[in-house]
Amino acid sequence: MSFSPLISQLIEVLCCLPGVGPKSAQRMAFHLLQRDREGAKRMATTLLEAVERIGHCSQCRSLSEQSLCKLCASSRRDRSLLCVVESPIDVQAVLQAADYKGMFFVLMGHLSPLDGIGPIDIGLDKLAARLDEGEIREVILATNPTAEGEATAHYIAEIIESRAGIRATRIAHGVPVGGELEFVNSSTLSRAFNARTEV
Amino acid sequence: MRQSLQASYVLHSRPYRNTSKLLDIFSREQGRRVLVARGARQGNSRLQGQLLPFIPLLLSWQGQGEVQTLTAAETGTLLTPLKGRKVLTAFYLNELLLRLLARDDPHPALYDAYAQTLQRLSGSSDRASDEEAGLRLFECFLLQELGYGLVLDHEVSSGGVLQAQQLYCYQPERGPWVIESKQDCENGLLVHGSTLLALQQGDLYAADAHTEHHNLMLREAKMLIRINLARHLGAKPLQSRELYIQQKQLLKS
Repeated sequence: MSFSPLISQLIEVLCCLPGVGPKSAQRMAFHLLQRDREGAKRMATTLLEAVERIGHCSQCRSLSEQSLCKLCASSRRDRSLLCVVESPIDVQAVLQAADYKGMFFVLMGHLSPLDGIGPIDIGLDKLAARLDEGEIREVILATNPTAEGEATAHYIAEIIESRAGIRATRIAHGVPVGGELEFVNSSTLSRAFNARTEV
Repeated sequence: MRQSLQASYVLHSRPYRNTSKLLDIFSREQGRRVLVARGARQGNSRLQGQLLPFIPLLLSWQGQGEVQTLTAAETGTLLTPLKGRKVLTAFYLNELLLRLLARDDPHPALYDAYAQTLQRLSGSSDRASDEEAGLRLFECFLLQELGYGLVLDHEVSSGGVLQAQQLYCYQPERGPWVIESKQDCENGLLVHGSTLLALQQGDLYAADAHTEHHNLMLREAKMLIRINLARHLGAKPLQSRELYIQQKQLLKS
């Protein structure tokens, strides 16, 4: 079935969202046009504004429309602690799960030599400059437990080691809470075993 | 075509569509191949945490054409996970294989050498010299497997046997030439016979603590292999090597 050019274009554009294929895009397009034109207008203007105004926080590189994001501007957070994560979503995950009062640094990716992503692409020059400011006492490396995430964590740890007085720590990996050993994959289990802790 | 439980390593993986992964694998019997792992990025996937690089796997796949579909994955014998700097070194190995190996070209012996090099890396030795020796031997074997092996068994001007104490001038297109003094080495690399012999015998590991001689041997082997690899790698620099160089600028002296 062929739609008028503008409708097809709308469907095509909606397909750029994650998890949205042609079929769901079609449903969304018709919903907006038939039932919620007001919502569609609001969505369009907000989208435009967001894309134009949202940039990166100058300190933590997370997404923000201000030059200094809310977390970095807050005076109630502990400035001697810095948690390094791969993406802005990870910031939210840490905030929700852990009682963490420190600052963040968002890499917006990880080192991936095979994709040609190097230290400057993930802002390590900025991180190094921030370490040199002298406020930070501990850096918590919370990159993903993938091979690339591991490599990134170690790479940053070496940069930290070359500066006296800053501790580098890595989040623990292991068996998920509420899980059963039988169903945990062997690489996770072997790590959990190697990094066992005193009870 | 259906393949089941093939001994393989994942060399590289990248996200594909919403929940899948595209895997570049190196299989013992089938060589380098591209597989798609459907749904591997979904939270409830059985494959999650399994399709990692540097871990021996048993992979099954089926399909036709260039990209085939992964049907099952099992973890083979587990090694101690690679840590820290060693992960970066292992990425270097993968980058070499991705750059130099053609697809669907099986190299079982090279696969075994790769597995052994990873095993040595994950082993207990933390000596940088052992890590370096392992890398050099792997690179040397890789060149040989690709058909660009170094000339390590004879001297090219006379065809004579290499002598450990002799100085040689190694020219990448030709091989080692006997020379009398360091000044005679033109358009080539100055190496000692002992370095060439050590590479040939696969014995670059130091017996005890580093000696001046062993360090010299490693340095020579590094340069020798680097100029030989460079001819096949083309103009694009190796990214994993760039990482080391860029890190130096970020370290505080």
